[in-house]
Amino acid sequence: MAATRQQGQSFGLFLVGLTATCAGIYEVSSGIGKIGLALGLVVLAVSLLQFFRIKPLEGEIANGVQPAGMKAIGVLITVGGWLLALFGLHLVSGVGGRMLFAILGLAVSLVGVVFILPAACNKNAIWKA
Amino acid sequence: MIKTLPHKFLLAATLVLSFSGLVHAQTAVADKELKAGAAAAPSTATLAAGDPGGSATGTISDVPVSDSKAGVTVTDVGNQVGQNKIAINFVWTLITGFLVMFMQAGFAMVEAGLCRVKNANHTYMMNFTVYACGLLAYWLIGFAIQMGGAAGNGNLGGLQPLNGEHVISLFGKTWGVWGTQGLFLSGHTYDVGVMVIFLFEMVFMDTALTIVTGACAERWKFLTFCVSSVLMGAFTYPIFGNWAWGGGWLAALGTNLGLGKGYCDFAGSGVVHAVGGLTALAVALIIGPRIGKFNRDGSPNAIIGHDISAVLIGCFILAFGWFGFNPGSTLGASAAGNLRIGSIAVNTMLAGCTGTFGALIFMWITKGKPDASMAGNGLLAGLVAITAPSGFVNTVGAAIIGAIAGVLVCLSVAFVESRMKVDDPVGAISVHGTCGLWGVLSVGLFADGKSNYGGSWNGVTGSVTGLFYGDASQLAAQIIGIGTLVGFVFSFSFVLNWLLEIFLGHRVSAESELEGLDLPEMGQLGYPEFVMKPEPAFLHLESAAAAAAVA
Repeated sequence: MAATRQQGQSFGLFLVGLTATCAGIYEVSSGIGKIGLALGLVVLAVSLLQFFRIKPLEGEIANGVQPAGMKAIGVLITVGGWLLALFGLHLVSGVGGRMLFAILGLAVSLVGVVFILPAACNKNAIWKA
Repeated sequence: MIKTLPHKFLLAATLVLSFSGLVHAQTAVADKELKAGAAAAPSTATLAAGDPGGSATGTISDVPVSDSKAGVTVTDVGNQVGQNKIAINFVWTLITGFLVMFMQAGFAMVEAGLCRVKNANHTYMMNFTVYACGLLAYWLIGFAIQMGGAAGNGNLGGLQPLNGEHVISLFGKTWGVWGTQGLFLSGHTYDVGVMVIFLFEMVFMDTALTIVTGACAERWKFLTFCVSSVLMGAFTYPIFGNWAWGGGWLAALGTNLGLGKGYCDFAGSGVVHAVGGLTALAVALIIGPRIGKFNRDGSPNAIIGHDISAVLIGCFILAFGWFGFNPGSTLGASAAGNLRIGSIAVNTMLAGCTGTFGALIFMWITKGKPDASMAGNGLLAGLVAITAPSGFVNTVGAAIIGAIAGVLVCLSVAFVESRMKVDDPVGAISVHGTCGLWGVLSVGLFADGKSNYGGSWNGVTGSVTGLFYGDASQLAAQIIGIGTLVGFVFSFSFVLNWLLEIFLGHRVSAESELEGLDLPEMGQLGYPEFVMKPEPAFLHLESAAAAAAVA
């Protein structure tokens, strides 16, 4: 497929939904704001469903299926490293200790970013065919 | 001696009356001088004769008076001085913001030049449209999230309407998480100072968004690019932006935990470039490499861009715009240490220069030729790396930071391509991600403690000082910032775009990719009169058939 009228309509609806949602948030203390927020979220949901409906029309793409489980593990490890660094801020009080925890946490995150996620995303890469 | 209470009272009253009389006398003298000055100012008749030398234009007569009967007073003059300070800072911030906006043209040329002819329209259009996508999202909600609690900037009049920061209490301290004021720039945020800071911050945000288009060029569906960019402008960028610049927890690491001056990022190596580069990595991982980029054994093929002149001219446009990016981040040219704008500009130039040399010489030695595209990337790497430390370092530090960035970008490009097997047509992940993180780290190393922006930074008294000048705690704060960029921002972007992959799909069809995105996605060729030559064998149709079979 390619760009189509349906894509344009869906994107237009998405922008309307986002605008209405933000307007609702802006006026959320009032009744009309709450209605606007609800309406905006509904329109956003409809636009996402539209996107989902027209997605298969794109046709075959040159990318293999990426294992969701492995990607989830990669993300969790990446976030986990960050949380380790934050936890270290509370656990120790000295600069040296906090720096050590920060470096350790960064190293854990990098394992996720540099090793696990690329391995997951390239597991069924087209060039391996 | 005066011992009795009435006597003490009498003495105090005498002193007060004398002092107020002195002040009154001084005020009367000042007012008399002002009136004399006003009387001596060039008359209308004098000015009507013309003023070729400029000595008669701009006098005390131009000071607005609050009471025409009383004439010009000290209060009138004081008010005008205050207005002048704010006006100078407004003009400075806006003009530098305009320069940063022009960087969009530079990014467009660099990226399109490094892509193939058949994708030129699409690549240019992504860089063109990202401006609108980002601006809308930022106006709707992004600015509020990032800067909604940023009140207190004296350079722009205080920004007092931006007085809403959502905070959490943790470990006995208060930490800012996101802002709440400024949606649609309406209500009490319809304010002259808020407008200035909105424009300036918006063009920075757009720089981050446009970085992603480079890494995902030649196979990114235009629809998904639009949606992804809107969401990045609304949420991804503003969240980290708030933590670093908008009164959030990263900046408060100094006041809350005594870690230097908190996370310091003068103009955005982390906030802008690393956020953009890491998001680019996240999307590039999900979208996959271009057809023909890697061989079956995993070795990469070079897919040559179509216009190196556009690349190098684009780099110069970016370098020019960077004079707005870094010096403009003082948010003023008057008071509070803002006269460092010259130092910041020179630091920026120097780092770009040594970055160019770093990449050029590295490639010349290792590959035998001074590679043009890597030289351009070396310039950009130096500029990216100096962005965070530019306001805090001296010229020697700037030169070293740039040189290291120039070499680092070459190593990173090879690593990302050969080890991680991520396809990045323009090197955006390395230029902005890797060198952005290096820039953040270099603040903690090279900040020399000589800057003075109003006597404090992030609410901590003193100047930003790095490890080499005696403060290891600043380095700790920077590493926590790097950890947040890698651990949170990358993950947030990855999950967000993973959801977009489920709902929209990021990639165009194999058929569109081989044909070139210009016609299927944009409906028009970038260069309709060009005669296309056949592409190299590794990019031909059989590759696509095999690719489609796998999918």
